[in-house]
Amino acid sequence: MADSVAGSEQATGTRWTLPVRYGFLVLIAAFVVFFATMNPVFLHGGNLMNIVEGSAILLIVALGMTLIVSTGGIDLSVGIALDFGAAFAVVAMKEFGVDWYTAALIGIAGGSLVGLLNAGLVVGLKVSPFLATLGTFFIGSSVQRIFTNGGGPISHRRMPQEYRDLAVGDIFGIPTEVVIAGVICLIYFVVLERSIIGRRVHALGMQRSAANVAGLKVNRYLIACFIVASMTCAVGGLIASANIRMFTPLSGFAYLLDAIAAVFIGAALHPRGRPNVPGTLVAVLFLSVVTNGLNLMGLNFNTKDALSGIILVSVLALAVAQRKLR
Amino acid sequence: MPDSVATRPGGFDLRRAVGMAPVAIFVAMLIYIGFNAPNFLTWSTIQLVLSQSVPVVVVCLGLSVVVMAGGDDVVSGGIDLSVPATAILCAGIIAQQVTLAEQPLFLAAMLAFGAALIVGALNGFLVTRIGMTPLLTSLAMFVAVVGVNNVITASRRIDIDAPLILFLRDDRIVGLPAGVAIALVLCVVFVFAIHHTKWGLNLQAVGGSREAAEVSGLRPSHFLFWSFVIAAFAGFLASFFVLARGSGSSPGTEDNLLLEMVLATFLGASFSPRRVVTVWGAVLGAVLVAALSIGFKSMGVNVFWTGLIKGSLILIVVALGAASQRMR
Amino acid sequence: MAGPVLQMRDIVKTFPGVRALDGASISVSEGEIHGLVGENGAGKSTVIKVLAGVYGADSGSVTLDGQPLTAITPANVHDAGIRFIHQDLHLVPHFTVTESVFMGQEVAGRFGLSKRQMRNMAERFFREVLDIEIGCGRLIRDLTTAERKLVQIARALIDDKARLVVFDEPTAPLAIGEIEKVFAAIRRLKAQGIAMIYVSHYLSEITEICDRVTVFRNGKDVAVFDKISDDSAEDIIKAMVGRELGQLYPNRTHAAGEPLLSVRGLSDGNRFFDVDLTLRRGEILGIAGLIGSGREELVDTLYGLRKAKSGTIELADLPLKLSKPADAVGKGVVLVPRDRRGDGLVLAMNVMENINLASLEEVSKLGWEMRGAARKRAEKLIGDLDIRPTNPDAIGQTLSGGNQQKVVLGRWLAIDARVFILDEPTAGVDVGAKVEIYQLIEDLAAKGAGIVVSSSDPGELIGLCDRILVMMRGRINHEIGTQGLSIDQLVAMTTGAADFSTAGGTARSAHAG
Repeated sequence: MADSVAGSEQATGTRWTLPVRYGFLVLIAAFVVFFATMNPVFLHGGNLMNIVEGSAILLIVALGMTLIVSTGGIDLSVGIALDFGAAFAVVAMKEFGVDWYTAALIGIAGGSLVGLLNAGLVVGLKVSPFLATLGTFFIGSSVQRIFTNGGGPISHRRMPQEYRDLAVGDIFGIPTEVVIAGVICLIYFVVLERSIIGRRVHALGMQRSAANVAGLKVNRYLIACFIVASMTCAVGGLIASANIRMFTPLSGFAYLLDAIAAVFIGAALHPRGRPNVPGTLVAVLFLSVVTNGLNLMGLNFNTKDALSGIILVSVLALAVAQRKLR
Repeated sequence: MPDSVATRPGGFDLRRAVGMAPVAIFVAMLIYIGFNAPNFLTWSTIQLVLSQSVPVVVVCLGLSVVVMAGGDDVVSGGIDLSVPATAILCAGIIAQQVTLAEQPLFLAAMLAFGAALIVGALNGFLVTRIGMTPLLTSLAMFVAVVGVNNVITASRRIDIDAPLILFLRDDRIVGLPAGVAIALVLCVVFVFAIHHTKWGLNLQAVGGSREAAEVSGLRPSHFLFWSFVIAAFAGFLASFFVLARGSGSSPGTEDNLLLEMVLATFLGASFSPRRVVTVWGAVLGAVLVAALSIGFKSMGVNVFWTGLIKGSLILIVVALGAASQRMR
Repeated sequence: MAGPVLQMRDIVKTFPGVRALDGASISVSEGEIHGLVGENGAGKSTVIKVLAGVYGADSGSVTLDGQPLTAITPANVHDAGIRFIHQDLHLVPHFTVTESVFMGQEVAGRFGLSKRQMRNMAERFFREVLDIEIGCGRLIRDLTTAERKLVQIARALIDDKARLVVFDEPTAPLAIGEIEKVFAAIRRLKAQGIAMIYVSHYLSEITEICDRVTVFRNGKDVAVFDKISDDSAEDIIKAMVGRELGQLYPNRTHAAGEPLLSVRGLSDGNRFFDVDLTLRRGEILGIAGLIGSGREELVDTLYGLRKAKSGTIELADLPLKLSKPADAVGKGVVLVPRDRRGDGLVLAMNVMENINLASLEEVSKLGWEMRGAARKRAEKLIGDLDIRPTNPDAIGQTLSGGNQQKVVLGRWLAIDARVFILDEPTAGVDVGAKVEIYQLIEDLAAKGAGIVVSSSDPGELIGLCDRILVMMRGRINHEIGTQGLSIDQLVAMTTGAADFSTAGGTARSAHAG
């Protein structure tokens, strides 16, 4: 008797589909209205552009996380990859005086080390992604402390203007970082949602052994995913370091939870609960709206932090609960 | 085939060896430290190790219960990363109430207790009713709770000199530091409750196989929910030891507590004959981790390196665990 | 014998859009093993779930020992002495035998668990009721599957209050030699007067162990057989499908050609040794063997799921190096795995995604997936294989066992595979779908594919294959043509009984071809 207990919960039908599909958009709208009434500045064009600009790095990191979660894992070391990207690029420019684009490439290569370590642990030693990337996180944090003698920033005031423009420049009037994030997002969308590579990644993420028996090169894909994700996060690090003209150790950690939250909120928006690029994008914008709105309310730093943490838990719960209603 | 059940002498021994390797590595490192650090193997150092390990031991009691109720798959099974945050929150509340608001310790403790219950019940609610994975829930909860603590303490260090805290820090019970003695009692209570009662065995059954438990008439959600409440309660208990160890509450201690808790609990699994997370395994793991930290410190190892060493240790332990699983 | 222990009369149960039970009845007497058979969807599992209190019936009556059972809840049913041995073992791998037996019904004293008392009770139960030594301190994960099944049985019966025990496919995970152990236990329970309902797809077992059989079809009991003999199987099948089934196995139209896959001296250094085999084009080669005979490991190694220590594999005279399944698939060697739900289907993906999973290149341009083409291909295969539902968007998890198996087969039809390795191809598949799958296998062979069927069903091996390799303790002990081979002979070879028989020779190592 193959049909087990699973079948019984399916019945709660179509009545909920509409509110569930669009409920999250309604929630965003509610927050927008709330913030707009609290502070009219919120809806000004300049501020909206701020929100979009402010989402760029988080979006990049969250896309890397989307990729890893799609493989059925989780990556707690995205922040380390981001830090490494910034550190390698800044040090390359400051100590070795390399060109801005060489520095960028070195930064991305530096970030890929993190993915390489993760891939070795997960694929080679069969450590679960959570524990592997947790270990990478602590090792990476420690390396940064050792290297900077306890966590002091490495500043590079006279970095090449082109590098600086990664964060502050614009292309046809659109901020460069938004363009970069947009391009990465588009690439991720095409590869993960529309290509056969994405199909395979999703298959191995949902049921690794079945994907293996179906003849997919599971290990190769996993290794590639970890490396690509860390390189993606390193790009975020480039932008972050260009923005403040320095490398601040351990600053990537700040993106970790938001990135995870974005991916899982995005997955909850998907009709079949899969992590997906458009969902991640919507969730990132939502989180940025909340951050920006709380900032404009003029709350103190601690209160704002606590509030966004609480909003995050509630929204995650809501998103997951909504999916269950389907 | 009763007799032919492959007794493969060579393979079996190798599996055992790999399974024991994490313990062996720890012992080897302790011996190494013992030879290289002055006074490491003295009673006073051992007391120091025990005192230092007490907060981790107590949060480990909580985590091990959650892991046993939810299963030891880190992503889909039971895990509660928010226990250290709960401990820090309770410590923050107590210190703030006692020192800044000048309330009696009892009242402050009741407030902290209430806060811990809320965190635990919320975790349990989100996992059992909403259906969020414990990993995601407790990670998000960790951040939210730390945020709330930062509001309460304004991200500042708050000293405390309540008599009970000083007693835990300075006094002795039957030759042991008071904190250690009380923590020992807590450990015995937890071990008994989880490993020697019907309820505890049922909780382990739920973690071992949810379907099996359901078929046996047990309600998994009941045990899952209460495991989170118990974990938060352990966080509350740990807050006293956190306060005693630091003579007050200070922000930022939760990260280290989190790392040591996870390391100790999963390391503990390799001490158990069945290779699963157990209460006493987690406790033993916590003490060993503290011994290592103190040992490295007394050897004069740069403090920045300890994170590296501990991170590597986590990886070695879990990689060996995975290897011995595959040899089955 | 007094009146029946259990009587379920005219049970009706409807789900939205489906009448699952349409006036079904069944009655079981003391000390009787009562078979319950029917195709998937006939209502067997629904009637069991009604009895278990999982579903409430719309109408009908249930009486136990003549007393009507009202308020049928899982707890009440348990208290009344009705026990269920589910198909899945439902055991905790790291629990001891004692802990597993007493799970959820632990004996506790004032100071915690009475561990010693429970152990004594468990030991006594195994010794006196089931008549085996099992070692109550051992962990479940160290037991054989048959031993685990016995632990599951002990758990249902340890409190000595069982009146009626329902077995749901108790032998599904077991190998031929292990089944006897479970049967022995069931017969001992019968001797103690316990009434039993035995649900199974395996008709040979039904005819062997059951005293009476009720056949379900379309939610109703359509026939009750009071006298069961080995010849009853045909009549039972007729009642199940409601029509003449023709025959289970297809007519052979395939003919063996030149050698396709040849294996020489293959060993994994652990579970199987020195395996030689040759598979020809258009040939169906069977592999028989008990669990632990190395059969599963051999199959896995032929597909790159395990590593070989020594030996060679050649495909059409070219060496085949296998380090992962992808290597095999790349050369046209494909596997339909025994664990369909774990290794076969990606359960959360739909039929279209599952069918195209191994051949995505062919429905893509430059890596971009052509969704129209993918759908068209899936729809064609769904039609060819008669997969139900016909919707390519149906999620794999919701399909019946037979249809899931067809989807896995369809995936390999989508690539031009040359060698099909089928591991337990019809486990958990109902009779109707079985016939279709057998025909499919026959058609593949007729088109020139080489096919390896590894199975624990001796009838299936004999009905389907040209030759059978019998494995025992990691080695191929017999190689035998199926012409005129009887099930008894094959079972004797797989269990090793044939090796000890004095004549030794009737079927021994009669090489075919």
